[in-house]
Amino acid sequence: MSARISLFERKKIFYGIIIAVVSIYIFKLFQMQILAHEQFDAKSSDNSIKAIEQIALRGVFYDRNMKLLVENAPAYTVRVTPADYDTSLNRKIETILDLENGFIKNMLFKNRIYSKFIPLRAKRGADFSAIAWIEENREHLPGVDYIIEMQRGYPSGAMGAHVFGYSKEISPQQLKKEEQYYQPGDLIGSIGLEKKYEKDLRGEKGYNYILVDSRRREVGKYKDGVNDLPSQKGKDLVLSIDGELQKIAEEELNGRAGAVAAIEPSTGEVMVLASSPQFDLNQFSYFTPKDYLRELFIDPLKPQFNRASMAAHPPGSTFKLLCAVAALDLGVITPSTTLYCGGSFNFGRSFKCHGSHGSINVIQAIEKSCNVFFYQLIFKIGLDRLKNYATRFGFGKKLGIDINEEVRGLIPNSAYYEKIYGKNWPRGILVSLGIGQGEINVTPLQLANYCGLIANNGKSFVPHLVKGYLDENKKFFAYKAKEVNVGINQSVFDIVKEGMYLVVNGAGTATHIRINDIHIAGKTGTAQNPHGKDHALFVAFAPYENPKIAVAVLVENAGFGATWAAPIAKKIIETYVRRSMPKTAATSYKNKIEVKQGAETFAD
Amino acid sequence: MRISYKLNDRFDLTIFLSASLLVVIGLFAIYSSTQNTISQKGNFDKQIISWGISLFVFFFIYALPTKIFKIAAVPSYFFSMLLLLVVLVIGRKVGGARSWIALGGFSFQPAEFAKLATILFLSNFLSRAETDLDNLKDICIALAIGMSPIALIMLEPDLGSSFVFIGVLLALLFWKGISLFGLAVVLSPGIVAVASLFGPIYFVVAIGFVIVILFYFKKDIFLNGSILALNIASGFFVDNLYNILSPHQQKRIQTFIDPNADPLGSGYNAIQAKVAIGSGGFLGKGFLHGNQTQLQFIPEQWTDFIFCVIGEEFGFIGSLFVIVLFLVLFLRILRLASFAKNEFLSLVIIGILTVFFVHFLVNVGMAIGILPVIGIPLPFVSYGGSSLLINMAMLGIILNIHRSRKEST
Repeated sequence: MSARISLFERKKIFYGIIIAVVSIYIFKLFQMQILAHEQFDAKSSDNSIKAIEQIALRGVFYDRNMKLLVENAPAYTVRVTPADYDTSLNRKIETILDLENGFIKNMLFKNRIYSKFIPLRAKRGADFSAIAWIEENREHLPGVDYIIEMQRGYPSGAMGAHVFGYSKEISPQQLKKEEQYYQPGDLIGSIGLEKKYEKDLRGEKGYNYILVDSRRREVGKYKDGVNDLPSQKGKDLVLSIDGELQKIAEEELNGRAGAVAAIEPSTGEVMVLASSPQFDLNQFSYFTPKDYLRELFIDPLKPQFNRASMAAHPPGSTFKLLCAVAALDLGVITPSTTLYCGGSFNFGRSFKCHGSHGSINVIQAIEKSCNVFFYQLIFKIGLDRLKNYATRFGFGKKLGIDINEEVRGLIPNSAYYEKIYGKNWPRGILVSLGIGQGEINVTPLQLANYCGLIANNGKSFVPHLVKGYLDENKKFFAYKAKEVNVGINQSVFDIVKEGMYLVVNGAGTATHIRINDIHIAGKTGTAQNPHGKDHALFVAFAPYENPKIAVAVLVENAGFGATWAAPIAKKIIETYVRRSMPKTAATSYKNKIEVKQGAETFAD
Repeated sequence: MRISYKLNDRFDLTIFLSASLLVVIGLFAIYSSTQNTISQKGNFDKQIISWGISLFVFFFIYALPTKIFKIAAVPSYFFSMLLLLVVLVIGRKVGGARSWIALGGFSFQPAEFAKLATILFLSNFLSRAETDLDNLKDICIALAIGMSPIALIMLEPDLGSSFVFIGVLLALLFWKGISLFGLAVVLSPGIVAVASLFGPIYFVVAIGFVIVILFYFKKDIFLNGSILALNIASGFFVDNLYNILSPHQQKRIQTFIDPNADPLGSGYNAIQAKVAIGSGGFLGKGFLHGNQTQLQFIPEQWTDFIFCVIGEEFGFIGSLFVIVLFLVLFLRILRLASFAKNEFLSLVIIGILTVFFVHFLVNVGMAIGILPVIGIPLPFVSYGGSSLLINMAMLGIILNIHRSRKEST
C-alpha cells in the first residue's frame, strides 16, 4: 500500500497552506505598502493617463428657410477643483467672477458628496477680463482653472423663448434616471424643444486621453491622441418655424400678455408659436443671474408661461365656426335654413345680440357673428354631439405638439354638468356655450390648428415644430408627422369658409383688415373674462382660394378681437403671402427684362 | 457568561462576526468606488438589500435539519448541471463570458450555485462506505463529478470559477485521504496541462516527469499506460482550451507573464491595482480620498478589484485587518471540519472552506500582483448579490453542521 496521510496530518497540511498563503500576502502587502510605499505613491500622484470626457457640440436650430435660429457660441467656464483649492481664495474669486458672497463655499458644500477631484463649475460665461486675471495669477490660484465651453446664441432676432427652451445643469433626480449618459454638471434640455429633442441634440460624448502630472495638471496628450475617441456632434434640427414671422409676431405682441400661433394648413407645420411677454434666453444660455430669475417669478404676467399652448380661455365667437360645421354636417340646418334674430334670445332670461339681424342663414350669421342664430343652433346640435365635433377638431385634448408645455383645455359635455349641478342641470348654460363662452377653454395653438383644418377641408397633420434634422453631411431627413382627418364633407367647409371670407371681405366684423390682392378669411372672437377686461381673439387663413397659412391670435385683457387681435394676424399673413407671391412675380418680370436686354444687345 | 457560552455552543459567533465585518468593510469600499461612477451608483443600496436577503437565507439554512444536505446532494447537482447548460443557450454576456441568467429583474450566475451543489454531491460520493480511492475507477468517477461542471463553465468561458472547482475537487480528494500515488495521478494531468501552455518543451519535460513518477510507484503496466495517455491527452486538451477562451481572458494570461508589455491595454489593470495598494501606505489615504479609486484608474473596483480600494484608502492596517478576518474565518472553519458528526459533513465543510479560500487566494493575489488578473470576487466583500447570497448560504450550512455536531447520527 502506498503511503497514507492521517487525518491529523491532513489537517496540518491545510493549516500549513492557509498560514503560508496568508503570510505571503501579508509580507507582500508589507513590502508594497510600507517598504515600497514611496515609489508607488510617486507613481500614483504623477499618474498618468486619464480619460477626459468631451461634451459633444449640441445640435443647432434652423428655421424653415434654413436661417440659423439657435447656434453655439464659445464661452469661458471657470472651474474649481476642491482637492487642490484653497478656500482662503473664496472672496477674491467671488469678486472677480461677480458672484455673490459665500457662493463658492456653498457650492463646495453642496458637492461634498462627490469626489473632490471632479472640477466644479463656479461660473459659466465668465467675462474675458476675469479670464485674463486668472491667466496672470495662475501660480497663486491652485485648483482654479477655466475651460471653453459652448453656450447657446440666438442670432436671428426671433426670441422664441418658449419654443426653443433652454438647458440647465442636470439635477440629482434627473441624474438618477439618466445615469447612463450624464455626469454631474452636464447640461440637459429643461423646457421647449431643447428638452423634447434632448437625445437628438446632445450627440455622443467623446474621450481624450491625456497625461496628468503630480498635481493633476494636464501636461499633454497621451500618444498624441491616437487613442482619443472624438465626440459626435448632435443633430441639427430644421424647425417648421419661420424666423421672420416669429419675430413679427413677437414685435406685434409687444410685451402685452398674448400669443400667436400660425400653421401651414396642408402640412401641420407650425410657423409661428409666440407667447408674450417673453423672457431672455440669453440669460438662460449658461448662467442665470439670481436677480433675473427673481424678476421673472414676481412678474404678474408670468413670462415663463407659454401662452400659445398653455393659456386656455373661452374661444368666444371663433367657436361659432365649429357650431356651423357641426350643424351642417349633422343636417340640422341646410345652407338655406334661416333663423330669426330680433336682437335677443329668451331662455329663462334674455340673451343679447349686438344687432337685430332679422332672418339670416348660416353664412350671414358667421359674417355678422350673430349670437341669436347660434343660441338657437346649439339646441339643435346638442351638447354631447358638439363635444364630439370639438374633439375631432383637436379641442379638449393635447394635440401632441413636440414640446411638453401643452394643456388640454376643456370642452364640457352633459356628464360634466351633471356632476356639478345634478341630473337636471340648467339648460340655459347651453346658450352661452353656443357662442363659445362659459366653461369652454381652448388654447391659441388649438385655435390655429382648428382654423388650419377648416382651411384645408378637414385634412392636415398633427401640429409640429420640427420638420426634420440634418446629418453630418448636411443631408436632410424628415420626421414623419401623424395625419389628421376630421371626416367631414367638403361642401360643409365651403359654406363655413364663405362665411369667413365675408367676415373680412364682405360686411363682417373684420373688414378693416381687408387687403385687395390677398383674400383673408377669418373670424373674430372676444372671450369673456370674469377677472378683468375681455380677451381679444382672431382666427384667419389666407389666401382664401388656396390657403397657405392659418393664424390664431390672442391678446389678453384687450377688448374686442376685431380691434386688437385681427391686425396682428393681418400683418403676419400679409408678410408671409406677399413674400412668396410677389417675389415670384418680380423675379419672372426681372428675368423677362434681362432676356429682352440680352436680345437687344444681340441685335446690336 | 453562562448565557454567552451556551449561545456560542449552538452558534459560532466568531465565524458569523468575521463574515459580517467583511461585508461591512465591503460596503464602505463599494460606496467609495461607485460614488463617482454614475452607472454604478445604486450598487451600495443594492448590496445592502442583498445582504438583508442573504441574512434571511443564512438563518433559514442554519435552522434546517442537517440531514437535508445529504438528501439534496444528488438533485441539486443535476439541477445545477441543467442550469449550466441553460446558461450557455440563454445566458447574458457580461465581460466576454455568457455566465448570467436573467429572470425578471433578478439575475444570477449558475456557476455560483453549482459550486455548492458539486461540493454536496462529491462529498456524498466520497463518503460512501464502498468508495475506495485506491481504485482507479472510483478516482475516475470522482474526477468526472468534479470535471463536468468545469467543462461546462469553460464553455462560457469563466476561467475564475473553473479554478474554484479544481480547488474543491483536489481538496475533497485529499481530505478523503487519497494515497500519494492517487494524488499524483490526479495532479499530474493538471501540471502537464499548465506546462503545455508555456510551449512544447515544457510539455515534454512534464511528461518525462510523469514517467519518472510512474516508475517510482511501480504499478502494473496497463495502469501506467492509461495514466500516461491521460496526461498526454490533457496537454493537448488544454492547448485547444486556450483557443476556446475569450480574447480578453487569453490576454489576461499573457499579461500575467509580462504586465508592462502593454501599459494602456490589458496590463493596465494589473499595474494600476498595484499602484493603488502600494500608494495607500501604512494608514491609507482615507475613506473617499484615494485618487486611484476616485479617479477611476482601475475598472470594476466594486467587484474584482475591491481589495485595491481597501488597500488604497485604508492602507496596510486596513488590508491587514481584512486578511486577518479571512484567516480567522478559515482557521475556525477548518477546526469545525474535524468536529462534524460524520464524514459527509466534514467533507462539505472542507469543500466550502476551499471555495472561500480559492476566491480569497485568487482575488487578493491578483490585486497585489502575485497571480494573473482573473475575474473572481472576494467573498463577502465584493459587490454582487448572487455571490453574497450563495456565500451566506454556505456559511449557513457550516454553522448548521456546527449546531448539530453533538446530535446522534
